[in-house]
Amino acid sequence: MKEGRLRTYEPGDNVQRFLDLLGRRITRSLAVSMTACVHCGLCAESCHYFLARPDDPTMAPVWKADQIRKIFKKYIDWTGRVAPWWVKAGSLRDDEDLNRLKNIVFGSCSACRRCTYNCPMGVDTGLLVRFTRGLLTELGIVPEGVFNVSRDQWETGNQMAVTEQDYLETLEWMRDEVRTELGTASVDIPVDKPDCEVLYTINPREIKFDPRSIAHAAKVFHAAGESWTLPKWGWDQTNFGLFSGDDKLGAYVARNVYEAAERLRAKRIVISECGHGYRSTRWEGYNWADYDQKLPTESVVVTLKRYLGEGRIAVDPSRNPDAVTFHDSCNIARSGDLVEEPRWVLRRVCTDFREMFPNRRENFCCTGGGGLLSMAEYRPLRLEVAKIKAEQLRATGAKLVCTMCHNCVDGLNDVIKHYKLPMRVVQVLELVSNALVVPGRNETKKTAR
Amino acid sequence: MPHIEVDGKRIEVNEEGFLAHPEEWNEETARLLAKAEEGLEALTAEHWAVVRFIREYYMEKNLAPMVRKMCQATGFPLMKIYDLFPSGPAKGACKVAGLPKPDGCV
Repeated sequence: MKEGRLRTYEPGDNVQRFLDLLGRRITRSLAVSMTACVHCGLCAESCHYFLARPDDPTMAPVWKADQIRKIFKKYIDWTGRVAPWWVKAGSLRDDEDLNRLKNIVFGSCSACRRCTYNCPMGVDTGLLVRFTRGLLTELGIVPEGVFNVSRDQWETGNQMAVTEQDYLETLEWMRDEVRTELGTASVDIPVDKPDCEVLYTINPREIKFDPRSIAHAAKVFHAAGESWTLPKWGWDQTNFGLFSGDDKLGAYVARNVYEAAERLRAKRIVISECGHGYRSTRWEGYNWADYDQKLPTESVVVTLKRYLGEGRIAVDPSRNPDAVTFHDSCNIARSGDLVEEPRWVLRRVCTDFREMFPNRRENFCCTGGGGLLSMAEYRPLRLEVAKIKAEQLRATGAKLVCTMCHNCVDGLNDVIKHYKLPMRVVQVLELVSNALVVPGRNETKKTAR
Repeated sequence: MPHIEVDGKRIEVNEEGFLAHPEEWNEETARLLAKAEEGLEALTAEHWAVVRFIREYYMEKNLAPMVRKMCQATGFPLMKIYDLFPSGPAKGACKVAGLPKPDGCV
């Protein structure tokens, strides 16, 4: 297709549209992942889907990636024209094939990238999966849950369609709660305050269903004497563009956050405990939005580590006496390179911190990653393969599993409920807030969980 | 269609354990969902205050209310909601009130 010429399609010609998009969007790094696989099978051993169903070859990352690779070989790559049988080129025939592809890339992969991390050839199956999701999303072949949330982010600027009034009211409510708890009216949750050190951005679920984490953050910022604010617009750091593969949505949502920081002249952007939001805002968003971002952007856990390291907050670890294990979020550890910081913090705010195995960049997904939590249709398979995660959790003997991702909170809660594990999920801010020693406060009062 | 069986009765739910046909909700369904999904043997007046509010809000706006609205309407502090419904406002209280699963990271 020549530049500047509009290509038209027969109604319903999804296959041709898919193939044209595939050809247009392929990049060098994608082409490497399309061609470098030697089918060694190491990815299979790293995937919780395959480990839970070892007799089912369709659960192996290599098989899943081959379903897009064979289309690339057939229609784009020259090897498929010369020796299609040799490179296993395969046709994309109809909507049925596209639907099957949808069920593979959305339904049987949480895009955790554990296989990518373990691939000796550098094949990024996570990238292939997201790329394919993006092509399907462009055609509207997308699970309902992902569609609904993406629409809400486009239309309202946040993934749960929270109105500005509801947002502001909930923040005021939490401010009053913390004032009551600490017994001082000097606590504030500022909105749109210019020239602050920290612009704090959150996950809409914190507003809509679980604002306790906002109270925890406000308490810690108050104790640290931080100058901070939330923005009135651009406060949602989550980004369904990462899950749907839609870079345009990714750009829009990330840009909202970056522009909020610029508008308010904040010194840094701090992201609340959210895995995919961290990866999107801290790493991927700059490219999606083509934004020349100069401000440092960090997870609130890094902020907490700095407060503790600089002595800006004091903690009493004996207030968290239960055994705590840490679950690394895929988007934070493997894809975000934030690994030791949460451990550094946990060792200071709990008395019994223990690792699960494997851990760090080799940790298994909570099973709800890649947007799977919002796709109810794939839940039965997700919970079946969660037995790997359940065994890993159970072996720690810990009462609490801590994670710095809201998505993992719900993913782990599902695993815990389904496999009847005697555990509770907590987040880093909650444990720090629990352990926080606030000067001049009546310390005999029970801290809010 | 997935379903749950409790006290000899059968309720059709979706894969997440939310009522498959939200319009068919009644108090009996609420009791059964609470028992099967939240492990609550009985619903107290406090449970009902939350559930009835969510249900009315949903019937009016076709939307799950924010936890702020639940607390305003019932006069309960935030922690009370989590005490009443172990899975929290979205996956606990809204489920018992027969709502479909709220969209998003929940």
